Amino acid sequence: MSTAAPSLSELKDQVDLFLTHEADLVDRHKYDDWLALWSPDGVYWVPCNEDDYDPARHVSIIYDDYNRLQERCFRLNQEGAHSQDPPSRLCRVVGNLAVSLSGEGHVLVRANMILVDVRSGEKNVYGARLEYALAPDGDSFKIRRKKVVLLDNDEPLGNLTFIL
Amino acid sequence: MTVVDGQEVSYSSLIEEGRVHSAVFTDESIFEAELQRIFYKFWVYLAHESEVSQPGDYVRKSIGRHSIVVARGTDGEVRAFFNRCRHRGTSICRYEKGNAEFFRCPYHGWTYNNRGPLVGVPFPSRYGDDFDKGKLGLVQVPRLDTYRGFIFVSLADEGQSLIEHLGRSAEYIDKFIQASPTDKIQLSAGVSKSNFHGNWKFVGMDGYHVNFTHKTVQDLQVRKNGNADSRKNNTDRAPNLAVDLANGHCRLDLSLTDTVEIGKATLSLIGEIPNTEAGRQYVAQMVERWGSEAAAYEAIRESRDVHVHVWPNLQLIGSEVRVIRPLASGYTEVFGYPAMLAGVPGEINERRLRGYEWFNTVAAFGTPDDREIFERNQIGLQNDKEPWQVVSRGLGKAEVREDGVVVGNITDEVTQRTQLRQWAKAMR
Repeated sequence: MSTAAPSLSELKDQVDLFLTHEADLVDRHKYDDWLALWSPDGVYWVPCNEDDYDPARHVSIIYDDYNRLQERCFRLNQEGAHSQDPPSRLCRVVGNLAVSLSGEGHVLVRANMILVDVRSGEKNVYGARLEYALAPDGDSFKIRRKKVVLLDNDEPLGNLTFIL
Repeated sequence: MTVVDGQEVSYSSLIEEGRVHSAVFTDESIFEAELQRIFYKFWVYLAHESEVSQPGDYVRKSIGRHSIVVARGTDGEVRAFFNRCRHRGTSICRYEKGNAEFFRCPYHGWTYNNRGPLVGVPFPSRYGDDFDKGKLGLVQVPRLDTYRGFIFVSLADEGQSLIEHLGRSAEYIDKFIQASPTDKIQLSAGVSKSNFHGNWKFVGMDGYHVNFTHKTVQDLQVRKNGNADSRKNNTDRAPNLAVDLANGHCRLDLSLTDTVEIGKATLSLIGEIPNTEAGRQYVAQMVERWGSEAAAYEAIRESRDVHVHVWPNLQLIGSEVRVIRPLASGYTEVFGYPAMLAGVPGEINERRLRGYEWFNTVAAFGTPDDREIFERNQIGLQNDKEPWQVVSRGLGKAEVREDGVVVGNITDEVTQRTQLRQWAKAMR
């Protein structure tokens, strides 16, 4: 961020740029570059069965701290990650952004995502509501929290080993 | 009998000692026969008592294409009903779980109480004198029995008892729940639901695939603690065992290379006992239960990964209660319930969940690679110019222990063969 605090609409533009960049990295499987967007205290959460619960008492599809995120990216970079060999062809649109500021200086973002995944002769479309807490970092952000609420998080799912 | 390559053959002729015909996995008429002769006849796992702990609690489950409601009636008894209104057949239970005194059909309002009887029929005056509500209660699944909290049902009116069917596998249900100092688990943490385009029998027990299918899991273990033992533990020279428990039940004994100590890293999927207040409290609870620290550690070691397949549709692996739902020769759903331990500090169960998410979910580091292999199996088996799959590994080299249990090296196909033998027996 520059010295003068940006207006909410300037902030929304910055968030839009940031999330478009993130979408591009994960669609193209640039795992290390994606990891670099994260704050070391970040949490990446994809709830299972319900949209909101205590992850200490209920299973999640993904509940990654930064260490687990590093493991996720490390694994996907290895040979032998069969479920991503060949990798999914991905294309996502992130939109309907709603941006606000939290008391701790975080930028809180709500967005919707439509993601198309093509792999092994099969096409899957996923819809999700996204929630982010972004920490301002220079003229960009670091992700402190990313929550992906899949519409079908209580349905039998196939292969979600790419980055949502 | 079925038709393979234009010839009428018996099902059991598709299984030979050391090889199996690909039609067993790909033929749709064989699949239909499997539903009738295996899933709608033998004892199959349905639900866990902790899911219906209070009067009125219900859960909706499946066996093959059947939708079944498990309900604890107001009288405290657990029953299983087919999810079908006796009037026109509408499914009466629209939620996967809940608490209800009554099930009311949304179509014409026929109402059943949670013990099964039909208690309400709107505008009854238009039925004749022979209309008897007493004969139109929800249809109960013919047989239901429980073993240590695990609810099994059989859709056949008669047959062997549950305990006869479980046979030697029951011991590993005991060991699975002994991870809790109260000998009780709770399936209270939700369910990871997955599917794959492949045959249900691929979800078996295979100790040979680990170094190949799960190469990246081993890479992660090496990265985490420099421990490459997993690669050694799953070879022809490892002390670990593939075990035939008869009746189609089998297991992989990986506990032989596991040691338990507080704070000590382990390759088990559940992970180490943390050297924290919660970890120490858990060990103290287990010492109280088992009498000494050595006995407590041994109980934990035995429980940490019983790795058993209770034929045909239940597996207990790591912390997971895994349930197999066959829907077509080439389509299967798998529901994984992480088992929470009753009576332990919250941190212990939280760690079980984080461990579960590491290997088991559709976005995790282990199971998705198994799923990928299952789908490639289904594609490969369509190429049936040479239709026989080879399952002869360790044939003639197995050891019969004093108690009659057949064991082989961890990489032997002892487990596949016992399941296929049971399949041939059931399909006869």
